[in-house]
Amino acid sequence: MIGTRSLRWQRGWYVPYLFLAPALFFYGGFLVYPMLSSLWISLFDWDGLSPDKTFVGLGNYIKLFFLDEVARRAFLNNVLWMAASLVVPTGVGLGFALVLNRNVPGTTAFRAVFYSPAVLPLVAVGLIWSWMYNPQFGAVNVVLKAIGLGAIARGWLSDYDTALAATFITGVWAGSGLFMVFYLAGLQSIDREFYEAARIDGATAFQTFRNITLPGLSETHVIVLSLAVIQAFKVFDLIYVMTYGGPGQTTQVLGTWMYFQSFQYYHAGYGAAIAWVIAAIVLAIAVPYIRRMSRS
Amino acid sequence: MQTFALDPNRHRREQALIFICLLGLSLIWLMPFVTVFLSAIRSQGDLISRGVFAIPKTLQWGNFAKAWNTGDFPIYFRNSLFLIGVKVPLGIIIASLAAYPLAKMRFRLSMPIFIFFLAGLAIPVQVTLQPLLVMMKQIGISNSLFALIPPYIAFGLPFQIFVMRGFFRLIPSELLEASRIDGASEFSVFWRIMLPLSLPALATLAIIDVLATWNEFLIALVLISANEARTVPLGLLQFQGEHASNYVLLMAGIVISIAPVIAIFIFLQRYFISGLTSGAVKG
Repeated sequence: MIGTRSLRWQRGWYVPYLFLAPALFFYGGFLVYPMLSSLWISLFDWDGLSPDKTFVGLGNYIKLFFLDEVARRAFLNNVLWMAASLVVPTGVGLGFALVLNRNVPGTTAFRAVFYSPAVLPLVAVGLIWSWMYNPQFGAVNVVLKAIGLGAIARGWLSDYDTALAATFITGVWAGSGLFMVFYLAGLQSIDREFYEAARIDGATAFQTFRNITLPGLSETHVIVLSLAVIQAFKVFDLIYVMTYGGPGQTTQVLGTWMYFQSFQYYHAGYGAAIAWVIAAIVLAIAVPYIRRMSRS
Repeated sequence: MQTFALDPNRHRREQALIFICLLGLSLIWLMPFVTVFLSAIRSQGDLISRGVFAIPKTLQWGNFAKAWNTGDFPIYFRNSLFLIGVKVPLGIIIASLAAYPLAKMRFRLSMPIFIFFLAGLAIPVQVTLQPLLVMMKQIGISNSLFALIPPYIAFGLPFQIFVMRGFFRLIPSELLEASRIDGASEFSVFWRIMLPLSLPALATLAIIDVLATWNEFLIALVLISANEARTVPLGLLQFQGEHASNYVLLMAGIVISIAPVIAIFIFLQRYFISGLTSGAVKG
């Protein structure tokens, strides 16, 4: 504890603010201010370039919620991505962590392998998997043909039914490692003695998992699931690189649709409205996460 | 009844089984890397006629040199390295400066300001893009690397302040008291005591930040359009656009652009795998 003693040594009320000033300048000037400015822009019909804008009030939001079919599709895709993210990369991460926590030889190397995709630029990840999915030469179809499943081989990223799932799987490859690392840290914080006691009482492996491991990870679940949801609404790079929102807008998400509206079609006001909807969703979801972090 | 954990033979068999499963999973997990690399070191004809998994007939290492030169990678590497050289140290110092009073001084707004910064973890980049573009045009640095530095610093601060504050709180306040009694200013307490004691945390943050800066895409995509100012992810995408059907060259370009982060990861992973969870899971 710092206690009141240190108060005596402060040279005035402004000292903390001197230390905070540079951070507040950058954070305020290049994150908070543009964010608020975007909210203002979202009330206008504006191309992002010319000096005049037309005030349209909530018109952009009305268009977004009720009139824009692609935006609806994009929102739905984010929700699908989120639902799948709550189960797949988190489950894979938990699975890796559980197995790696059992002191098998080579744990460090395995952990590095599973984590490694997470250090790559997502642009590179997207290009690598575009190559995996290449209809003619890609590894996915080659493997499918080799094991007799050639019938389902296809252009995974150009097929209306599979493009989103194929992109999502790429995200699983890139994202599970981080969740694994969180779960490993969580597992290591569970007291060994609980396991000893369970073993002496003759608990089955499943009972031990159910009654010791899962509750012991409750803190980690909050962090991992919050991150998964937040990331699901921030998705951009993979879609932009792998499908560009296509085929036929089927893989648009709010993040890419905002980009296309603002910077390809020059609907800056409408793009800002989409951006604010993303921000509002993410901030609302992140409240428990942020609260927990501020208490730690 | 269930005493299997005590049975050494069963235990050993179980360990062997897990090991084999892990090995198989690793192979699947590494397959994308393998197919990219195998494609990057052969000729296009060899790739098309014999398939992605065949061992190349002849090794065509020249693909890397060709990609490096025809793809303007020297420009992209120079830009990304410059950005890292400026942004990473600057951002971390600014974050540490802010974390010090939040961890070690008592003042009324300490908690509100901390939460104000933490909220940034949840702010999507999109919501700042259009105004940032307008601002950079007004300042006259749009389309230059300098346009990227302020937003990169701003978006890095929430996580860095969070980690540094957590780390500073572990440093005993008695150490600070002692030098305050000796008449040291708050700044010299920070500079002479806090920072040197925090080197492990600073190193971890630096490595994470180097990777994040190397990888950042969306802000750069919006603020940069000139080829001379492109960072590696933008350049790689440009390269892909120009050589979409020259697979071997494209794969060589991918290998080039991920080689630095892979190298950092292999040599420095023990610093940052634990750092990623620092403070987030257990105080």
